[in-house]
Amino acid sequence: MKTNMPLSKPIRAFVSETERMLDTGITLLRKPEAAPGGTLIDVYTYNLDKNIIIFPANYIGLLKDFVIAKQCTYLLIKGAAAKKSGYKVCSFTQDSVYTGMRQIYLDALKDEAKKDKKLPVKKLIEMLFMLYRQFLEDINELPWNPIVNARVYYRMEQLRKTQLYILLKDGKQDMDEMSDMMEIIPRRYFVLDKSMFYARDLYLAKTLPADKLMPVINIPQMKKFDHLEVKEMLTTRWTHTAWYQSKFFGDNMLKIMEKHMAVDWNGERSLDYYANLYQTGVNMTNELLNYMSMKDWFIWEKPKHLLAAQEQVATYEQAALKKIFGDLIEDQ
Amino acid sequence: MRCRVVTVSEVAHLLTRAEHYIRQTKYREALAVLDQAIKIDPKNAGSWCLCASAKIEMEKFADAIADCERALAINPNYADAWTKKALALYHLEQYAASLAASTRASTLNANDASAWYIKGICLEELGKSEEAEIAYGKSLELEIILDIKDESKRIRK
Repeated sequence: MKTNMPLSKPIRAFVSETERMLDTGITLLRKPEAAPGGTLIDVYTYNLDKNIIIFPANYIGLLKDFVIAKQCTYLLIKGAAAKKSGYKVCSFTQDSVYTGMRQIYLDALKDEAKKDKKLPVKKLIEMLFMLYRQFLEDINELPWNPIVNARVYYRMEQLRKTQLYILLKDGKQDMDEMSDMMEIIPRRYFVLDKSMFYARDLYLAKTLPADKLMPVINIPQMKKFDHLEVKEMLTTRWTHTAWYQSKFFGDNMLKIMEKHMAVDWNGERSLDYYANLYQTGVNMTNELLNYMSMKDWFIWEKPKHLLAAQEQVATYEQAALKKIFGDLIEDQ
Repeated sequence: MRCRVVTVSEVAHLLTRAEHYIRQTKYREALAVLDQAIKIDPKNAGSWCLCASAKIEMEKFADAIADCERALAINPNYADAWTKKALALYHLEQYAASLAASTRASTLNANDASAWYIKGICLEELGKSEEAEIAYGKSLELEIILDIKDESKRIRK
């Protein structure tokens, strides 16, 4: 482990254990511009010789520890998969991009027919790939989030209070995401995207035993949550939002999550255990994609495939648009 | 009198530059600038404290402690210098001494999340887990307040 910052004893032990189990090195980096949830740059995804966990510079104590615990757990899942069965992610090809964009276009047409204020054609065309990409990012992240969180909750008991704060913060951010595009994107996709986050919040609310937010009761901004339990906090928020429609789909997604995540979260610390968590995530992702009728939108491939595909996005988007709109789309 | 004003503003300017270098992880450059500041005004505790910050990042912990002590000789109630000293001592695994320094820091500035966190780590290392939990709790509370403020700023931007 390479770091020059203070770390609590359990986190130091956890980072060392991760390095030992995966036979790899981890560098911890503070960056002012880092994403609030931190970033994991790992040897299983990128062509690197060590893993880097980056977290916001203003996270100096337990918030930093939680980010490290979360990213180490994710690293263990990726590493175990790579060592046992092979680590794959949801990637895309020219054909799968076309399949996704075409479906979004057809749904958008249905939505547009009901609207008084039509979306300008240029915006509609831009929206197709943007939305496709949004789902790619979400499906590559979201199913792993409850798995990692549940494991951290049981593995790192001392971080529970910190975790509850982060979960609330993440949940709020995910709810707000795309809200500025609510009127632009087809309703079905808005609802499906929100439903995934709803299901995640509800799953975590059910899985993580109720715990009072004791460390935050003295914070004025958090006062309104005083005496509420996690479950109440996460569920109340969803049922009182404009996205109540997400509840129906979200409840079904929650059932999918519960079915797949019948896991012993306190399981032994072994590569087999983490490889099993990876398989759980893969199975859950497949069923969620199936439920959202997006089965053919993405393909499971090695991370290298995804990185190469990312380089081709402009070509793939243009080819898909050409196929959907024919000569109406000019060559670029 | 005028000479004193020039000196103060010059040192303040140098300290700002040093802080900038530290943020950019350019520690040698920071120390060079701080050296100038100390030559102009060796009685400025802030310069010594920043030297300690840079040296901690460079893993020169014993030197950092010496700088903290210089800062504390000038101003014994300088909370940041106590925090830096606690941090350097923690890295040297001198947990009891680090606990004493972090306790002093958190007494002088109860809103220093770092000081509470280091105190928590040291208490944990010394086997005082119940007290450690209280220190961690305080540190988390302060971190959350700062995080909520940062988040509001980000949203306003």
